[in-house]
Amino acid sequence: MKDFNLILAGIFFTLVASFGGLLISGEVQLGSLGRAPAEEGGPLYPLNEPGLAIQGRQVYLELGCVTCHTQQVRPAGQGNDIAKGFGPRPSVARDYILQSQLLLGNHRNGPDLANYGARAKSDEEIHGHLRAPAAGSTMPAYNFLYVVDKNGKTQPTERAQALVAYLKSLRIDYNSPEAKLKQ
Amino acid sequence: MSQDNYRQLHSSKSDTGSSLPVRLFFASALGWLIISSVLGLIVSLKLQQPSFMSGCEWFTYGRLEILQRNAFTYGWIANAIFGVNLWIMSALARFQFKDTWLAVLGWLGWNLALTFGLGAILLGHINGYALLEMPKEVAPALFISFLFAALWPAVAFVRRPTGHVFVSQWYIIGASFVFPVAFAITQLFVIWYPASGVLQALIHSWFIQNIQLLWIGSSAIAASYYLLSKESGRMISAYYLSTVGFWTYFLFAGWTAPATLLGGPIPVWIQSTGVTAMLMMLLPVIVLGINFFGTLSYNRGFSGAWNNTTLRFVLVGIASFLLSSVLNIIFSTRSLNAIVRFTDFTVGLQQFVNYGFVSMVIFGAAYYILPRVTGKFWPSAKLVHLHFWSSTIGGLGLALYLIICGYPAGQTALVSYYIPVIGFVLLQCVGHVAFAINSLVMLFASPRTPHDNTHA
Repeated sequence: MKDFNLILAGIFFTLVASFGGLLISGEVQLGSLGRAPAEEGGPLYPLNEPGLAIQGRQVYLELGCVTCHTQQVRPAGQGNDIAKGFGPRPSVARDYILQSQLLLGNHRNGPDLANYGARAKSDEEIHGHLRAPAAGSTMPAYNFLYVVDKNGKTQPTERAQALVAYLKSLRIDYNSPEAKLKQ
Repeated sequence: MSQDNYRQLHSSKSDTGSSLPVRLFFASALGWLIISSVLGLIVSLKLQQPSFMSGCEWFTYGRLEILQRNAFTYGWIANAIFGVNLWIMSALARFQFKDTWLAVLGWLGWNLALTFGLGAILLGHINGYALLEMPKEVAPALFISFLFAALWPAVAFVRRPTGHVFVSQWYIIGASFVFPVAFAITQLFVIWYPASGVLQALIHSWFIQNIQLLWIGSSAIAASYYLLSKESGRMISAYYLSTVGFWTYFLFAGWTAPATLLGGPIPVWIQSTGVTAMLMMLLPVIVLGINFFGTLSYNRGFSGAWNNTTLRFVLVGIASFLLSSVLNIIFSTRSLNAIVRFTDFTVGLQQFVNYGFVSMVIFGAAYYILPRVTGKFWPSAKLVHLHFWSSTIGGLGLALYLIICGYPAGQTALVSYYIPVIGFVLLQCVGHVAFAINSLVMLFASPRTPHDNTHA
């Protein structure tokens, strides 16, 4: 191989082939996905994120939570995510169509959060976990998200409230045309 | 080293104008290596002891881990690759590189942009995609700097009036071309004008595979070809196969992207395409294995390589390449991937590639190139030994430990766990400090009288 132009053209072709083959055909299949009702006549899912949750998504990013937590539940035949209680059904492409920046993650030091909003019992429980994670957890305490008021009580900052709103908004406990909940 | 060897070393010293940028790239690569090593140490400490430094937002685990990964990839690996590729191109092409200032400008731009980007990560300006975490404003600076630092020199060398294009140069040209194209496309469709939903994840996985295999991997393969041939004094075994290896490697690499998203919310046919491409990667891996190990397999080549500082590192590097590639292919099959995905197994495999293969080959290249660029000897053979054993035991030990412990972790019902790795990371740090001291003395101290202390 002596011809430089030929080498460059070949390399360009390999890049175009993989990009076109995977991503353009992916766009053709997924690009027009829209929201869908979980049951006939019901509201459209995924729901729009509340404003506070959108701010909380930013806090989630700033703290690098995506390093340890994924937001994707794999189907039963592909891993034990459902058996571990991460979600009642696998995540599907439609679940993510409203997200401006996906936070799928690629490594788990902690549990998956795709359906955390449905698992968490109350705001207080989430705040408690952020302030003082359970013994044995690899998660650090996020005390800097809390302040002590003049009465000596610990109060969440606006960022903590936004983060909790975001975590509560993470749910896939509804029927999707591609993945139904088990009855 | 005898006086004859010394003269030979000086006569082979590259006089192609690339000396200054090569020195600068190596010096900054060393700085980033030390920074990322210290960050790695803190990160592994924090994983073991989550309360360590947890009072300050700047030092949360997530942020520091992202910082470490970016400093290692864009600081250490990228700068070292720029330097090694530039040197190999100039040495092979025997071409007077007149536009040294462009490469220096690229070096300056890249490192300034990176410093700014990492500072922004420390302050919490983070994107959610691996190796795209730096703020989007940094991307154009990195892109333009890359063109000056890598693409233009590569094109200039290969477009010289006469001369053969060697196998190392194919891979360097490929690497230098792939990065800016993949980086620009991904920045556009993931960060600046995001595609809808999971397409972002698909484009990102395409970016990661291109960066990992075709930029970083190709550069390390180029250096392996060059150093094996030069230092062993042999022709590459089954050289005629290298064309097949090169084209199949480039053809299949990009298609392997979906194999990193198995079980994820993307269409199953796309996932299957990725797995098929991953299996097809066996072909170039076999060819590269034949080329690399065939070259060393006769006339006491392996023992010769073990007694040569450069080749000892490269030997560990190419062995890691072969093993990690085979493991990657085997564990991209659905049933096995289901167990190891999201676990420390994949982190170990990544460490195997980025450290066991790429970094070890870069270390080997540094031991070959720096004496020729500076005209000096390595100041301490003991530090070279310390570096080799610390990096091999620490770096490869870390990779294997994570792989071995990560596999059963994927089968358990545990939702939160960690694997203590601090010992391995500490050992790696010792090796890096030894390497940095030796290299910095060589790069910045005044010339020494030759005497026989260059080889480990």
